[in-house]
Amino acid sequence: MPKYDTVIGLEIHVALLTKSKLFCGCSTTFGGEPNSQCCPICLGLPGALPRLNERAVEYAIKAGLALNCTIHEISRFDRKNYYYPDLPKAYQITQEFYPLCTDGYLEYFYGDSLARTKITRIHLEEEAGKLIHSGASIIDSDYSLVDYNRAGIPLIEIVTAPDIRSPQQARIFLEQLRLLLNYIGVSDTKMEEGSLRCDANISLKPLGSTQLGTRVELKNLNSFRALERALTYEERRQGEILDRGDKVNQESRTWDERRGRTLPMRSKADALDYRFFPEPDLPRLKLRPGWVEEIKSTIPELPMERLSRYEREYGLSRYEATFFVNYPDFGQLCEKLAAMGWEGSRAANLLMGEYARLAREKGHLTPERLAGLLEIIEDGLISSNQTADVLEELFNSNLSAREIVLEKGWQVLADTDELQALIGEVLQGNVELVERYRAGETKLYGFFVGQVMRATEGKADPKIVNDLLRKELGT
Amino acid sequence: MIDRQEIMRIARLARLELTEEEIEQHRRDLNQFLASCAKLQEVEVGDTTVGYTIPAATQTLREDELTPSLPQAEVLAGGPCVEGGFFRVPRIVEEGE
Repeated sequence: MPKYDTVIGLEIHVALLTKSKLFCGCSTTFGGEPNSQCCPICLGLPGALPRLNERAVEYAIKAGLALNCTIHEISRFDRKNYYYPDLPKAYQITQEFYPLCTDGYLEYFYGDSLARTKITRIHLEEEAGKLIHSGASIIDSDYSLVDYNRAGIPLIEIVTAPDIRSPQQARIFLEQLRLLLNYIGVSDTKMEEGSLRCDANISLKPLGSTQLGTRVELKNLNSFRALERALTYEERRQGEILDRGDKVNQESRTWDERRGRTLPMRSKADALDYRFFPEPDLPRLKLRPGWVEEIKSTIPELPMERLSRYEREYGLSRYEATFFVNYPDFGQLCEKLAAMGWEGSRAANLLMGEYARLAREKGHLTPERLAGLLEIIEDGLISSNQTADVLEELFNSNLSAREIVLEKGWQVLADTDELQALIGEVLQGNVELVERYRAGETKLYGFFVGQVMRATEGKADPKIVNDLLRKELGT
Repeated sequence: MIDRQEIMRIARLARLELTEEEIEQHRRDLNQFLASCAKLQEVEVGDTTVGYTIPAATQTLREDELTPSLPQAEVLAGGPCVEGGFFRVPRIVEEGE
């Protein structure tokens, strides 16, 4: 029995898909020559004045709306002051006191139940530069290299309430949040390129207690797996400290992927004081009338809405619908097949099996070619266990499913007379086994079926074979 | 009241090295500023609130268009230590206790 409640809150930084940076016209493209996408504004050179990117504001509002937030007509930018080499101005422009969006939530399925995680706030801020550490981790490095191409790229920071109860739930929340952001198209959310990053706060409290424990902030969680592993590690570490009757230190810890553990980053004595104050170079942001409504009208169907539509309209199971929602390219195929009149479960059966593996390797087939395959299964031209072979061929040739089957001579053997004769041969060749079967050794039945299938190279219609075989054996 | 200790903390946060004389000077100045601010706070302003409600000036937004960046060499010219197109900086994080 667990002795503690786990309390987790997340802070997610999301790079927005704008062409230019938040306050200047430098490119946001990933992977350029280091320090080649910088100007006096994003380098913080004296006298440079920031100017806010309209598209970034639009995307932040869009994210806020998709996450059911209140969008504030007036918000403000502040300076967050600290010395760190990835920050050329020695302050970051962010929205500490009056963020653009507050009080939202995200709903998602966690296991079988609907979970709701509150979103405390979403604010706009500028990205810092990129540090490349000389050592294996930040702690082991003697020096670091700085690239300011990333400095000034627009970010939204999404802060959740401490609503999350387990490392697994944290991971699922983050996956669902990422999916939502992909649906609304405000970010490419590539964790491996850093365009989606997550910090986590975690604390433990005695089971049922209303008093929150001391929290630890986890950084450097660069993948869904790292998030879950670091939280799991930290949950255990804090539990052990509390078991001993000790106190958890309030601190920031970094996740060391290689060693599979968290390590402290700063000591308390060095606690940061950001000395926030209103950004004097930027007046308040006031949204023009009607803008939020305009943006609302551009929000597409969101994952949860699509999930219930798939269940309702196509009669898909939760599992199937989730697959199509999580992989919208597959979802689109399912919708096209449904529009052609195919039952959702038929389409799901085809798309989620062998096809999924092949399509990920080779790209999708057109819905028409897939429909052709469903058709010949329906017609009984092939049996369902031949589907994989035909699929493989569909990826390799331009022929239709029907043409492939006819050319290869794969059509199912449904000629009753021919099968009757074959079965006769099989039984005559195994007289002794037939005797034993009739004497009650019924598990031999499978052997006879196998023999018939082998004799027909798997093409025999299994239903006809069964009917005939049972008649012959007198069962 | 701001004391010597506080001045030194502020100086440390701003990475400023102050002489004894400067510490005393800033202590006196800052306390005077604060006293002036305290006076301002005595002014009766009624129910006026700050924050989301009052737009002072409203900023005009910039279209999401590219403008030329500086050449890399010019960017790096501002750095005291440069390596392979990057700025090179000393070790950053101190290990916790």
